[in-house]
Formats: sequence, C-alpha cells, structure tokens
Amino acid sequence: MPQPQTVQPFDPRRLRRTVLRMAYAGSSVHIACAFSLIEILAVLYRLHLRLGHGGPRAPDRDYLILSKGHGVMAQYACLHELGWLSDADLDSYFRDGTRLKGLSDAHVPGLEATSGSLGHGLSVGAGLALAAKRRGTPQRCFAVVGDGELNEGSIWEALLFAAHFDLSNLMIIVDENGYQAMGSTREVMRLGSIAGKLSAFGLETCEVDGHDEAALDAAMSKLLKSPSIAPKALVAHTVKGKGVSFMEANNRWHYSRLSAETYAAALAELELGEKRIAS
Amino acid sequence: MRNAFAAALVRAAQRDPRVVLLTGDHGYTLFDEFRRVCPDRYLNAGIAEQNMVGVAAGLAKGGLRPIVYGLSAFTPVRVLEQIKLDVCYEQLPVLFIGDGAGVVYSTLGSSHQSTEDVAALRAIPNMAILSPADAREMTACMELAGRTAGPVYLRMGKSDLGAVHSRRLSLAWGELCKLREGTGDVAWIATGSMVQTALAVSAQWAGSQVWSAPCLKPLDALQVEAICRQHRAVIVLEEHSIYGGLCSAVAEIACARTPTWVCPIGVQDRFSRCCGSYQYLMNEHELNAEAVAAQVREFLKRVPATSSREAFSLGVSVSEAA
Repeated sequence: MPQPQTVQPFDPRRLRRTVLRMAYAGSSVHIACAFSLIEILAVLYRLHLRLGHGGPRAPDRDYLILSKGHGVMAQYACLHELGWLSDADLDSYFRDGTRLKGLSDAHVPGLEATSGSLGHGLSVGAGLALAAKRRGTPQRCFAVVGDGELNEGSIWEALLFAAHFDLSNLMIIVDENGYQAMGSTREVMRLGSIAGKLSAFGLETCEVDGHDEAALDAAMSKLLKSPSIAPKALVAHTVKGKGVSFMEANNRWHYSRLSAETYAAALAELELGEKRIAS
Repeated sequence: MRNAFAAALVRAAQRDPRVVLLTGDHGYTLFDEFRRVCPDRYLNAGIAEQNMVGVAAGLAKGGLRPIVYGLSAFTPVRVLEQIKLDVCYEQLPVLFIGDGAGVVYSTLGSSHQSTEDVAALRAIPNMAILSPADAREMTACMELAGRTAGPVYLRMGKSDLGAVHSRRLSLAWGELCKLREGTGDVAWIATGSMVQTALAVSAQWAGSQVWSAPCLKPLDALQVEAICRQHRAVIVLEEHSIYGGLCSAVAEIACARTPTWVCPIGVQDRFSRCCGSYQYLMNEHELNAEAVAAQVREFLKRVPATSSREAFSLGVSVSEAA
C-alpha cells in the first residue's frame, strides 16, 4: 500500500491498520491486546532500538522481547515496516503452512522469545542482558510485559534477579492496559501500584502515558541515560483496544474477530484520524 | 561420581570460556573447586528455578554455554515448560544437571525424590538425556555434553556405588556399553544406580549379557534391536518410574522392530510411603537385589520356551507357539 510521504516511520495509525489487515485476513483474536502497545513499539523501533547490522539476527542488535506474546500482531506490523515481513505474510496470516503464529515465536526472525505462555520473556531477557554485560557489548534488552502477565510468579523471580545482578541494560516495559483475558485486572487479581512494586524491587521506574509518543520517548531516554546500575522499568498506562472507539476498554475485543462490517468501521476510524492529523 | 562431576565442570569451564554455571541455591561444597578456579562464572540464581532456566536460555542465545545445576525433583520437573519453550524449542546449548535423582533423598520425602524426570523430558523434542552409572561414565557423559550444540539433561542419581567400568571410556550419542559378555537367554540393560544391581543379580542366570545405558535419549535403536534379537528376554532396570523411562524406550524400539519379552524393573506407579535410609527405600520399591531377582524369576516363568522372536521368524503366531 503506498504511504503518504508526510507520515513518519512506525506511524501508529498505519501500524493499527496493518494489525487490522492481518486480523481480518486470519480471522484472528487478540486485536485489543495488540492495540494497547502500538505506541510503545512504535517509539522503540523508531527511536531507541538499535537494530545493528545484518538484519533481524544481527549479532550486535538490541533485543526486543515481547513477553506479552498476545500482542504479537503489533510487532508483526513493525517488522512489516522494516521490510522483514512481506505483504504476502500479512495477507496469508493463519493460512495452512504459514510461519506467523498467533503468539510470539522465536523461530520468526525479529521475534526474540517464544511467549504467550506468560512469564517467560522477562527471564530470557535478563539472560540476554547478562550475556551482553559479560561479553562487554553495549547491547540493551527491552522486555514488554502485560499487566495481566504480572500474575505470573516467574516475573517477580526475574525482577529479583535483574536487580541483584545489576542488569542496567535491561528495561522492562509494562503495558498496563488494565485488562486480562477474563476481565479487568482489578476484578481478576488486584495489582495495586505496579510502579511502587517495581521500585520496591530495586528497579529505576518511570510512569508514562503509553499512547503519548513524546512522553514515551522522553521517559525511555531518561531511563536509558541514567547512570544507575539498576535495571529500568517503564510503566505505560494504556487503553486496551486503543485507536478504535468500539474496541477501547472493551475486553470483548480480547477474543472477538472482525466481520466485514467491523473491519470497515475500524479502518474508517483509523483513516479518519490520519486525515484529521494531516489537515 | 560426584568428584568426577565436579572435576568435569572445572575442565569444561577451562576448556570453553563460554561456560557459565547457574545453580538454584543448591550444591553445597560441590562447586568449591569451580568457584576457586573461575569465580566469575559461578552464578547463584537463588531459589527461583523458573527464572533460572529462562536466564540460561537468554545466556545461551547471547552466545554463552550455561550449565544449570539443580535437584532433579526441581530441574527439570518444576520447570518443564521453561525447558520446553525457552530452551528446547530453540535447540539452545544448555546442559541441565539433575542431582539426587531417584530416591537418593530418602529421608526428605517425595518433594525431593524424582522418579518421573526422564519420562517428563523424553517427550520434549531436541532434548537429549544422559544417566551415568559411575565416575567414568560421568566423565564421558560430561565430555559428550560439552561436544553437543543442543539441550542436554544429565541425571545424577546415587553416586557412591563404585565403579562399573574398569577403563576410561568415550561415548557416542545413543551408545550402550557392554559390561559383561554372555550368550545366555537373558540380556540386562540398566542405567544409573541400577547397573550395579544388574551386574550382581544377573550372575544368577548363566550367560547373562549386561549392558549399561548412559544415554537414555537418543538410544541407539539398531543396538537395542540387536540385543533383543540375540536373547529370549531383556530385563530393563532403572531407579525411575516404569512409565516413560529406559524400559519404555527399549520397549518402544523392540515392539516396532523385533517382538521381545521386556521386563520392567523400576519404581511402580506410586510415591514412597515411608522415611528411611536409601537402602530402606530401595527395598520398599522392590529395587534391592533380592526383590529384583524375584521379579525376574516370576517374569521369566511367563516367557515361553520358544521365544516370541523365534515364533515370528518361523512364521507362526505367538499363541500357537505358546
């Protein structure tokens, strides 16, 4: 699809349209899970993630782990922008014999961990960060986890480990969209103050509006520039389903699939948003 | 065997600068030499096994060669999913050591005993499994693991039973080691702590051939098939559940290639009932020499004089032959 010249790389509206395109092609669920972390990934890919030299497996790359594997369509959309996934990859989503699955899978170049079974990615990220430190490389590791994922005990094991081993090159980003599969985090398993907990675990922690790209960039920059030896944490307050009015904070869209009508309506909102910004 | 393990760890680290050792706060005094020789490559990951395995996966992805030490009751059983997804799915070079396998921790109860670890891991693709019987097998297993580019589980059971090999050996993946030549009716295949028992008990059956299986997965199917073809019956011994371990592996090969009478000697489908010494629990599970001999005698009564193998080769059915 030709892109207007004025739109910057990893434009959130375009990323969301790509997610819808895939989700419609594959009749996939988890659309709202992807929409809450679009700006987080957009700012990471556009401004902070050093991709290194040699494609998705470049040995000197920074690592981006989507521990919250349910949001994988958001990352596919970014990989598409990078040219690492083709239009055909998007349009054949979930067809027999294709390689892109409904959860993050490390066999796909550009995805670093196999997740979706939750609570795995942060530990793998801690290992990658530790390996980089031991090898003396400047590589950093970003691990995006969901707030629902914080139910998993292994997350808290990984936080203890990251702080104890001074993994200053590890940043955990919590996509705090307030929902998990069966309801709000408040109903299912109260988390209290996530930032407070992360601080108490010894992480240097910031909170930010997870849909404000400038604020995300500022918070990430601040954390990345910090001289502290502590691992970094960014709690991004987000809206599940962000970007499409009828999906926002509507947990039905954790599981719902697009019909021709809802696909058209969602796309129309995202295109309208673009026109409004452009005018 | 534990000394051989500790020495092999140090050698592995000296030989390969990528080796790092992770422990889940276990291994009191076992790593003294390792910590003295390469203190910066010893990482205590705390009592947090799930994270430890994920970290090991990340370290391996980052170019290192982690060795993860734990009790076999926790690593692999507690962290099976991390092993499957984080390590095996990507075929990462992580060596897992499961110490105290079987009923070694006889006084500590079921939390520390593991008779299901091999069964749990055998079904995970890419995972290789080693189970040394003595110090020489341990040394050879550690060398084999060090030469391997994928995940390996090394099961360390009762470690002070003495030598079964008189000479240094080198192992290939899948290879069984012949410990006693014999052309009698019965072959014995054992692993780990039960190799000593096999050597002792098999003497009651003239001409018994005795094998040790330090590699549980892969297991050389041609070698197992040949053993099955040469004998009327095969006795398989392991300090592990009779479900899913060495006996299952032998039987899977036998039933597909050459029907053979296979006798499972292992832990029946039950937990330990009582507390007591290692020998007490081995008695409880009927894995002491006398109980094993009794089980084998009963089993051999069921094996027809003309074995199923001969019956098949003669073109008659087992029921006709019996």
